[in-house]
Amino acid sequence: MPSVTFEHVRKRFGDSTVVEDFDLVVADGELLVLVGGSGSGKSTILRMVAGLEEVTSGTIRIDQRDVTALPPRERDVAMVFQDYGLYPHMTVRENLSLGLRLRKIPRQEIDRRVTWAAGMLGLASLLDRKPKQLSGGQRQRVAMGRAMVREPKVFLFDEPLSNLDAGLRAQMRIEIGGLQRRLKTTTIYVTHDQVEAMTLGDRIVVLADGRIQQIGRPIDLYRAPVNRFVAGFIGTPPMNFVEGTLRENNGQAVFITEGLSIGVPREKTLTANPTQSLTLGIRPEDLRVESSAAQSVDDGSSAGVLRGRVVLVERLGGTSHVHFDVAGGGSRMMASVSNDRLPIVGETIVVRVPPERVHLFGADGRAIGRTAEIV
Amino acid sequence: MRAEQKSGSLMAGPYAAFLLVFAVYPIAFALVLVFLQWDLVTVPTFAGANNIRLLLHDGRFWRAVANTFVFLSIHVPLQIVTALALALALNRQLAGRSFWRAAFFLPVVISGAVVAILWSHLYATDVGLINRLLVKIGLSPVPWLTDPRTAMPAIAVMVTWKNVGFYVIIYLAGLQYIPRSCQEAIEIEGASAWQRFRYLTLPSLLPQTILVVTLSTINGFQLFIEPYVMTGGGPLRRTYSVVLYLYNNAFAYQKMGYAATIGVALALIIGIVVFAQRRLIGRAEAL
Amino acid sequence: MKQLRRIALYAGLTIAAITFIYPFLWMASATFKPAAEAGSLALIPHDITLDNYRTMWARAPFGRALVNSTFVATTITLAVLVFGSMTAYAMARLNFRGRPALNAATIAVLMVPGQLTLIPLYTLIVQLGWIDTYAALIVPYLFNATAILMLRQFFLQIPQSLIDSARMDGMSEPRILFTIFWPLSKPVLSIVAIFTFMGAWNEVLWPLLVVREQNLMTLPQLLTVFALGGGAGTVGVSLASAMVLVVPVVIAYMFLQRNFIESMAGSGIKG
Repeated sequence: MPSVTFEHVRKRFGDSTVVEDFDLVVADGELLVLVGGSGSGKSTILRMVAGLEEVTSGTIRIDQRDVTALPPRERDVAMVFQDYGLYPHMTVRENLSLGLRLRKIPRQEIDRRVTWAAGMLGLASLLDRKPKQLSGGQRQRVAMGRAMVREPKVFLFDEPLSNLDAGLRAQMRIEIGGLQRRLKTTTIYVTHDQVEAMTLGDRIVVLADGRIQQIGRPIDLYRAPVNRFVAGFIGTPPMNFVEGTLRENNGQAVFITEGLSIGVPREKTLTANPTQSLTLGIRPEDLRVESSAAQSVDDGSSAGVLRGRVVLVERLGGTSHVHFDVAGGGSRMMASVSNDRLPIVGETIVVRVPPERVHLFGADGRAIGRTAEIV
Repeated sequence: MRAEQKSGSLMAGPYAAFLLVFAVYPIAFALVLVFLQWDLVTVPTFAGANNIRLLLHDGRFWRAVANTFVFLSIHVPLQIVTALALALALNRQLAGRSFWRAAFFLPVVISGAVVAILWSHLYATDVGLINRLLVKIGLSPVPWLTDPRTAMPAIAVMVTWKNVGFYVIIYLAGLQYIPRSCQEAIEIEGASAWQRFRYLTLPSLLPQTILVVTLSTINGFQLFIEPYVMTGGGPLRRTYSVVLYLYNNAFAYQKMGYAATIGVALALIIGIVVFAQRRLIGRAEAL
Repeated sequence: MKQLRRIALYAGLTIAAITFIYPFLWMASATFKPAAEAGSLALIPHDITLDNYRTMWARAPFGRALVNSTFVATTITLAVLVFGSMTAYAMARLNFRGRPALNAATIAVLMVPGQLTLIPLYTLIVQLGWIDTYAALIVPYLFNATAILMLRQFFLQIPQSLIDSARMDGMSEPRILFTIFWPLSKPVLSIVAIFTFMGAWNEVLWPLLVVREQNLMTLPQLLTVFALGGGAGTVGVSLASAMVLVVPVVIAYMFLQRNFIESMAGSGIKG
C-alpha cells in the first residue's frame, strides 16, 4: 500500500522553478532517501510533505488522503530538523510532550509515550535537562524522540546529521537505520551525503535542479547509473570519466581515446551511433593496476589496457588512491588499489579496464544501452 | 502559504490601520492645515498662503529660531566635550565602574519636568543653590534665569547635564570597538597620550560624534518643557523656543493652521540643519 | 606619577558624580525642611517636617495623578509589548501582501519629527471628542515604531526550525509568538518595556494639549501646572510634588539600572 504519493508536484519561488513535475510513490514502511546537491530541491520536497511549504501545483497524498492544502498539524507527519528545532526554554520532557499536549492526548498516554521513546533513545536520565545542557548527539536523539512520540504516519528527516562531527554522524546513522527498521514507519530522509543515502536508503531518489535523475535501490544506482550526473554523484571515490569516440572494428564496437581503446560489449552500445562522441566512465575500484614489470599484457588495439604515469599516491590505510596521467596525452584518472603493491610517483603503470564494468554516456549525458532501466 | 498570508495580515493589520490614522493622516493633514485658518470651533476657512507669509515675517517665530541656535551653539559642543571626557574616564581600569555609569545616567531617567523645576530652584537668584555657592566663595550672585544674556546659556547647561549620561553610553560603546591591536600599535609607535587621543581615539569615534551632534541638535529644536516651566520664554523672549511658540498658538490662541505651519517649518529646519551638519562633518573628515 | 594620575582620575569622577547626584539628594532633603530652611545647602534638615507633603497633597489631586500616570503608562507598555510583538512577528517571519510597504512606512514614520504631526493629531483628538479622556492619552501610543523595529530585528535571529517545529506540533502563529518567541525574547522585551514605560511616564507636552480636567492629569502634567500656577508657593512644596514622580523611577532604576541604561540608550540610538 502506498504511503506517500506525489502527483506532478511543482514548486516555484517567484520566477524560478525549484521542483519540476515530481512524481513518486513511497511505499508503506519504506525508508526513502532524497539525495542531491544544494539547490536540487530535496528540502523543498520534504517541506511540502510537512506542509511547511505550499505546493504550486500537483497533489500530495498521505495514505490516499489528499493533504496538499492541509496545515502541518492535520497531516500526521513528524519532522527532524537539521538544527533540531528544540525549544531552548523547555526541558527535554516538555520538548517531547508539547506536540501531544497540544493534540489533547491524555496525560497518561503522553507519559507512556515519552517514557517509551526516552528508553529507546537512552534519554531517560536527561528528561529534566534543557537542550543547552545536552551534547550534539543527545540533542539529535531528542529531536528524533519528539518525532517518535507523535507516532505519525510518516517521518521526515531534513539533513539530520549534518551538524554532527564525523564519528558521531556514523554512529547516529546506524541508530536511525536501526530505529526505522524496528518502528517500520514510512520515512523520507533528505541528505546531500551520498554515503548516508547508500547506507540508509531502501530506495534512493537522486535529484538535480528540481528534477528526478534516477530512482532505485542503492546497488542499482551504483551498478547502473542512468546518466553521467548519477554516475558521478553516487560512489566514493567518484567515477573516472574519459571523452572519446565509438568505432566499428571487425564487427565489434570499440571505444577509442588518447592512450586507450577498448572493445565494449554489444548490449552497451545498442542505442549509440557509430562515430558518436561519448564519455566512458569507470569506477576507481574497478580498475586493475598491474606493475609495468608484468609486461605480458596483450597490447592489441581493443584490449582495454592503458599505461599511465603515477602523479600522486594517497594512502588511506586499507586502500590507496593512485592518481595517474594516461600516457599519450590523455586525461588524469584515479584507481583505488589495495596496499600490497603500491606504485611510486613517477612510475609508469599498466592499468586494465574490464569491459564489463565500463559505463558509456552520450553527449546528452544519458547512459547508453540502459534507457529501458530508467526509473 | 495561504494560512501564513492570513495570519500575517491579521497580525499586522491593526498596526497598518494605526499607521494610517495616527501617522499617515496627520502628516497629510499637517500639509492641509498650512493652508487653513481654523480655531477648532468654527468651520475652517481656506487661507491660501497667508500662514506661510505670516510666518516668514513673524518676528517671534524667528526670535525662537535664533534662540534655538544660541542654545545649540552652547549645548552641542558642551555635550560632546563632557560626554567624551566622562566616557574616556570610564573606559579605564576602574573600581566600581557600574556605579559611576549609573550616577552619570541618573538624570536621563528623570522627567524633564522635574529637572526643570529642580533647576529653577538651583538657578534662583536669591535663594538658589548655585548663587549660595558663589557667595560662599566670595563671588557675587548671578540672576541666571532673569538676565536675558544668561537665561538661554543656563538652560543649555542644564539640558547638557540632564542628557550627558546618555551620550556617555554611546561613546563608551564606540570605545569598545577600537581594536586592541590598534591601541598597541600606536603605543609601540611611541605616541604620547595626547597623540593617541588625537590620532586614534578621536577619529575612531567619528560615527559616535556624528550621532551625538545629530541627536542633540534634534533635541535642541524640540526644547519645550524647560522654558515652559522655568522662564515662560522670557526674559525678553530670549528663551522662547519654537515648540513653545507652536504650543501657545495651538493652545492659547487657538490658531490651528498657523500652529501646524510652525510644525511643518520646524520639521523642514531640522531636516536642513541635520543634513548640513552631516555634509560639514563629512567634508571636515575628508580634509 | 602613575599613583598621582589615578588619584586625579578618581577625584574627577567623584566631583562629576556629586554633580549628578547631589541636586537630587538636595531636592529630597529640601522636601523635609521647613520653609525657612529650604534654601540651605545642607543635606540633613535641622527640623524634619512632613508639612510640604501634606500641603502638596491637599492642594492638588496628586494621588489621583499617580493613579492616572500608572494606569496610562502600564496600559501603553502592555499594548506596545503585545501588539508590537504581534506586528513585529508578522513583519519578521510571515509572508503577507504589503509587508515591504509596511516595513518602509515604519522607517519613514521614524524620520518625521513629532512636532510635524502634533497639531493634526491634536485636532483629530478634538474631533473624536477625546479631549479629557484616557483614550486621548493612550490610543495614539498603542503602537510604537521603534519598539516594532527592535522586536523585529530580534525575531529575525530566531531559527526558522523553531517555527517549523512549532507548526508541526500544531501551534497557531500567535501561540508560536507567545509560547516560543516570548520566552526567548526576554532581553529585548525588557528593553522595550522600560523605554516605553519611561516615555509614557515622563511625557508632558501631549497631556498638556489634550487634558484640562485636573482629575485626569498625569503626574508630570499636574506637577507642571501646579508649579506654574503658583499652587506650590514654597520650594519645599514644589519639590515634594516632584518627588511623587521621581521616587518610583529612582527605586526601579536602583534595582534595574543595567536594563535602564541599555534600554534608554538603545531606543535613543534607534529612534
